[in-house]
Amino acid sequence: MTAVGLFVRLVHLAAVVGLVGVASALLLAGPSDRSTARRWQRDLRRWSRALVLLALVAGAGAIVQQAAVLEGSASALDAQAFARLLLGTQGGAVWLVRGGLLLILAAFLAVRGDIERGADWIAVRGQAALLAVAALALLAAAGHAAAVEPGTARAIAVDALHVVAAGTWAGALLPLAILWRRAGRDDGADSRPYATLAAHRFSRWALGAVSVAVVTGALNAIVQVGSIAALVGTPYGRLLLGKLLVLVGVLAIGAVNRRRLLPALAGDGAGVGRPAMRRLGRFATAEAAGALVVLAVVATMASTPPARHVPPVWPFTSRLSIGALAAAPELRTLVLVGSQITVLGVAALLASFVLRAWRFPLLGGAAVLLAVGAAVALPPLAIDAYPTTYVRPTVPYTAASIANGMELYRQHCAVCHGPRGAGDGPARGRLPRPPADLRAAHTRDHTAGDLFWWISHGIARGGMPGFASALGEDERWDVVNLVRALGAASSARALGEVIGPPRLVAPDFTFAVGPTPPHALRDYRSRRIVLLVLYALPASRPRLAQLAERYDVLVTLGVEVIAVDRAGGPDAIARLGGTPPVFFPVVTEGGREVVAAYDLFGEGPHTEFLIDRQGYLRARSTGGEAPAEINPLLAQLQELNAEKPAVTAPDDHVH
Amino acid sequence: MRLWKVVVLVDLALALGVGGGYLRWGREAARLERELALARAATSVAGAEREVHGEGVVRAVLPDINVIVITHGELPGYMPPMTMGFRVATPKIQETVQVGDAVRFTVRGVPPNMTLTAIATLGR
Repeated sequence: MTAVGLFVRLVHLAAVVGLVGVASALLLAGPSDRSTARRWQRDLRRWSRALVLLALVAGAGAIVQQAAVLEGSASALDAQAFARLLLGTQGGAVWLVRGGLLLILAAFLAVRGDIERGADWIAVRGQAALLAVAALALLAAAGHAAAVEPGTARAIAVDALHVVAAGTWAGALLPLAILWRRAGRDDGADSRPYATLAAHRFSRWALGAVSVAVVTGALNAIVQVGSIAALVGTPYGRLLLGKLLVLVGVLAIGAVNRRRLLPALAGDGAGVGRPAMRRLGRFATAEAAGALVVLAVVATMASTPPARHVPPVWPFTSRLSIGALAAAPELRTLVLVGSQITVLGVAALLASFVLRAWRFPLLGGAAVLLAVGAAVALPPLAIDAYPTTYVRPTVPYTAASIANGMELYRQHCAVCHGPRGAGDGPARGRLPRPPADLRAAHTRDHTAGDLFWWISHGIARGGMPGFASALGEDERWDVVNLVRALGAASSARALGEVIGPPRLVAPDFTFAVGPTPPHALRDYRSRRIVLLVLYALPASRPRLAQLAERYDVLVTLGVEVIAVDRAGGPDAIARLGGTPPVFFPVVTEGGREVVAAYDLFGEGPHTEFLIDRQGYLRARSTGGEAPAEINPLLAQLQELNAEKPAVTAPDDHVH
Repeated sequence: MRLWKVVVLVDLALALGVGGGYLRWGREAARLERELALARAATSVAGAEREVHGEGVVRAVLPDINVIVITHGELPGYMPPMTMGFRVATPKIQETVQVGDAVRFTVRGVPPNMTLTAIATLGR
């Protein structure tokens, strides 16, 4: 997004918010027969004519700029490019409708003469407000909210409510500030009761509107940002923080206006009421300036990818994790004590709202207690963190990735970490401290991003080198996936013929049977239980014959058998032969990766894995020999079919 | 008439127009979609003889019942990918293939009475 594009968007946004604000200011203040108030209303009408033209021109500019971005250059623009943008995309159609609304509003504002009171007054102002609000609210349907999946309609509705609530509040600040400033002047004394009434009405309205904006804004943030890491580690999140910072300042001024100046407006004439009115005008102008800054941030955010879809860069060298206590149980007491002090602090904070007489001592006490509580409880929970700590893997957890990671591991890692990850490689003696045992569940204690950072940049005090230059990014993620699989291996090997809890994710894999289009394990999610059979002929032949003969029963029980020949190759089906006929998929392509990855989870030569409908490994055959009986398998299937789907489907990426 | 009544009437007319138009258009779109689906289906169940080609791998040859079982890819306009038994047109066809062969085959007939009329190994 160029600076010009950003600028026209800001101008458009500010103009539309201004239109909404002018309309709501007029509606809030109501009709009047005082000359200063009438002049103010006339001026507002004139300004809204200018604003609607500005909104149309800037909106057209934004469209041109958007079309130029889509076409790649400004010189390629022609009528077709605009047609594609306006008619071919949802965003374009929304802008078209908004442009139509603004045109109607412009015509409406141009035609209407003076109407000074009664139902007609409300109808005319209401109509202008309605059109402006519709033009503003529709922005939500062309913004980030429209790209939310699933729940698009809800996200758009929440965002529309947000922009309308915020717009009626922020836009009305400047028009009302002008009224209050004029009413604070000597020659504006006739409109002072009118301005005071408007201030009271606006104060009530603003409280409601800001509350709605805060709640809907929080909902928006959950959808578009979603995590602390995304808030502090992405451009979008940081813009949001900046917006909040400015907003807190603006709301602080608003609070002063409401608590101090509003009661003073009722004061007597020149001595109290007039200075209060002038100050209110000045403060509201400052608020409006702050609101304009917020709009600038909003315009920037609208053209910044939402935080949720951007890999966050963690800006701190540590993070808080309850997992830190697992390594140091003696610190548990400290955390407990600290959390109790914090609870006391919160109690004092709440009490300060209730006990007005003790407010300031209580507030001070609460601040001290909260600070002490945090100082006691937080340091033990802090663990090292890196810029990539919260980055999500770009390579999914698949058998192919694990197999590739294993190859890379053999070349680069096994010399220290050992051939099976036990930390017993031949070069371990030359290191300042023993290499990590990768068979432990590292991905439980560390994020995938932590592992990625260590693999990329090494661990200096452990003597581990970085591999950022030796391995590409995807290759390093492959190694991360392997480390996860190594960590899962010990739990997988604990699995037996009894159905275990749904905890271990079965790595996805793709396979093909003959010249047919490839399938993936995840295609069976929520549809079939999968019995994955890694077999070796001739020892496995009786078991495969058994499975083939009972295949009709297995299908009835909701299972698909996927058989992988350890010897692999396109002639796997031919080698199996035609007696008895085998109708379940026998993998002829992709089997090598499946064998490499799943051999981590169980010993060969014949291994069977039962994968439930959510994609979790639930049982496996043990001993490396083919099971002789089919009944245990049928019992397992009955059990899986009887249980309720316990948990949601697993993520396909390491956390 | 008072102005506010005009405004309300115009808004009401607009809302009705847009809402009604949208509903009508929506119903029209759904109807068109149904018709398209029907038209597509009609071409595949016209009762006429059809010929479909596919690729797959032979899973079983069952001479007793004159059936070859093939795990095949999509048969355009006839069948999604699956493992499926096909009746052969002449028993001789069965002698040309073995279990595990990757094949290209042709089925012909009036659905659902289709028979396998030709099969050739792709070579492996």
